[in-house]
Amino acid sequence: MAAVSGWWDDFFWGSLVVVELFFVALIMTVLFGLIGAGAKLSNSRVAKSIASGYTIVFRGTPEILVLLLFYFGSAIILTAIAQIFDPEIKFVDFPPFWAGSFAIALIIGSYATETFRGAFLGVDPGQIEAARALGLSNLQTFIYVRIPAMWRLALPPFGNHMLSLVKDTALVAIIGLEETLFVAEQAIAYTAKPFTMYIVVGAIYLGFSTIITLTVMGLERYANRHLEVWR
Amino acid sequence: MSKADRQLMIELENVDKFFGSFQALKGVNLTVGKGEKVVVCGPSGSGKSTLIRCINRLEQHNNGKIVVNGHELTGAVKDIDAVRREVGMVFQSFNLFPHLTVIDNLMLAPKLVRKTPKAENRKKAMRLLERVKIPEQADKWPSQLSGGQQQRVAIARALCMNPEIILFDEPTSALDPEMISEVLDVMIDLAREGMTMICVSHEMGFARSVADNVVFMDEGEIVESGPPGTFFDNPKNDRTKLFLKQILSH
Amino acid sequence: MSFDFELILDSIPKMLVGIGLTFELLFLSLALGTALGIFLLILRISGRWYLAAPTMVYIYIFRGTPILVQIFIIYYGLPQLEFVRDSIFWPILKEPFGCAIVALSLNTGAYLSEIFRGGVLGVDRGLTEAAAALGISVRQRFIYITSPIAIRLCLPAYSNDVVSLMKSTALASTITLLDMMGIARTIVAETYAPYEVFISVMVIYLVITWAIQRTFAWIEKRMSRHVRREA
Repeated sequence: MAAVSGWWDDFFWGSLVVVELFFVALIMTVLFGLIGAGAKLSNSRVAKSIASGYTIVFRGTPEILVLLLFYFGSAIILTAIAQIFDPEIKFVDFPPFWAGSFAIALIIGSYATETFRGAFLGVDPGQIEAARALGLSNLQTFIYVRIPAMWRLALPPFGNHMLSLVKDTALVAIIGLEETLFVAEQAIAYTAKPFTMYIVVGAIYLGFSTIITLTVMGLERYANRHLEVWR
Repeated sequence: MSKADRQLMIELENVDKFFGSFQALKGVNLTVGKGEKVVVCGPSGSGKSTLIRCINRLEQHNNGKIVVNGHELTGAVKDIDAVRREVGMVFQSFNLFPHLTVIDNLMLAPKLVRKTPKAENRKKAMRLLERVKIPEQADKWPSQLSGGQQQRVAIARALCMNPEIILFDEPTSALDPEMISEVLDVMIDLAREGMTMICVSHEMGFARSVADNVVFMDEGEIVESGPPGTFFDNPKNDRTKLFLKQILSH
Repeated sequence: MSFDFELILDSIPKMLVGIGLTFELLFLSLALGTALGIFLLILRISGRWYLAAPTMVYIYIFRGTPILVQIFIIYYGLPQLEFVRDSIFWPILKEPFGCAIVALSLNTGAYLSEIFRGGVLGVDRGLTEAAAALGISVRQRFIYITSPIAIRLCLPAYSNDVVSLMKSTALASTITLLDMMGIARTIVAETYAPYEVFISVMVIYLVITWAIQRTFAWIEKRMSRHVRREA
């Protein structure tokens, strides 16, 4: 364990990168999931097919492939665009943080699409009818009746998506993001203790998973507090 | 049959059963002799199901003594296995194995427990299906049968193990009304052939015509018991009277 | 930026060479993972805390850390430990293929044991009680009653896990293995044509996913002959 001393602060900064990546990807995931679910639930055949294509492609393709495709692919696009302005430019690097978070969000977003769609369909139609009968507008019904019911149904499976999300952040190291695996590699170059260093990375991720699991459990309790029986 | 000749098949002595802090059975005493038919009735939550489930150890009693066909139920696996071989049970929700055909449902236990050879097993199973009057359903799936048919298969399945005692846990409560009599008829035939039976049921007509002893339970205790004549016509306890009024008024 | 179809046609046969390794990784890890999953399940439901508790810790660790980190720990990390180098498993563990199989099997075993547990919990308690009442022993109940029903119940989740495992095999390319992903990355490194190559290999992966899902749909249909269709 002495080998790790001196590296703790590097690992700490690496972990912060993971946290940043997680939250950025999370926001995009929710966005993609909602858009995808909206498309699937809409009446437009075009929207439905695009959304279906989206979920099929991103649930059936290895995550590492999606990452590499986006990273290299976006670098090419960016380079092409830059070459319009300055033909001397050979290669523009797309920041791995954004390529990574975008790619992960697309992947988890495809699972979230299904989850949100299921949650939306699971809302008791009787409640919607009651809201209408009380005179609430469409928008008010959506905000005050649909959404509260939906996020409660979506929470347990979405909790699992969040766990997948945090674990997928490790893959972004493959495209060069300087997070925990990168720190581990440097530490290994100096200390020649790969087992120790990778175990530290594992422990960091286990910590994140635990935090997410506990948070989701707390949220579930909050969500269902109206169902608790008071003795 | 005088008291002395009565061969005791089931003896419950001062039996208590707790589920956590809730007491489901309070000091229950009951004896059942060979060939006797006992009907247990009472409001929901009175402990009737718990009582019979303790007899074949699906529930474990906490205090008191239970002896079934000479085996005392103490937790020794040998005795539990022996009791379950000799005591059959029919459930309210039939519990037929959905992934096995009707005839396979009947043949499973003899095959696994008694190692009965296949041909003999099948012959016996078919005979029992004829006895409950549905031999033509042998190769169907349980999901293809009506409730009444499924329950008759369940009875045949219990009979395949040659039990000396059969326990019935509200066998007709989950059936549509028009199917109740086909099941009761099978049970009446069994009774006439001399099977020892304990039946938890609300079917008072059945109790009146078949039972040797009717037992009324409430809140975990046996409140009153007696032969059907006395029980129905001259109940002694007020709670019994109240129950009979509620259940017989429609 | 043009789309080089010739490159695609050229690359596909090369990538299909990798398909053999992809399938080897998939089937071997699936077989070992399934066996491990069953073993862990039995420990978990044994009722003995000294068997169930370590199992739960194992599952928690393997589901809470990224599979990439697990692969790195086994491939890069274990050689650090002397007792591993001296053990009889060393010939397996010094090869990338062996490490990939070990990592994938240990990981999928953890997920599968939870899936199997879900199936077992889904078996109607009345059925096992009826079997008990007939005198059928605990072991026989598990084999003849619980297992057939539980297997049918877990098929959808099992099928999803097979797809996940298939996607995880692509990570073997990070430890030098030349499965489809590994070959694809090599071609991209040589030709600088990420779109064509990665999209082609993506199509192949999608076909495999589709094949897996169709296979399990067929299996599920066959196993559900006895289930009553709700009118």
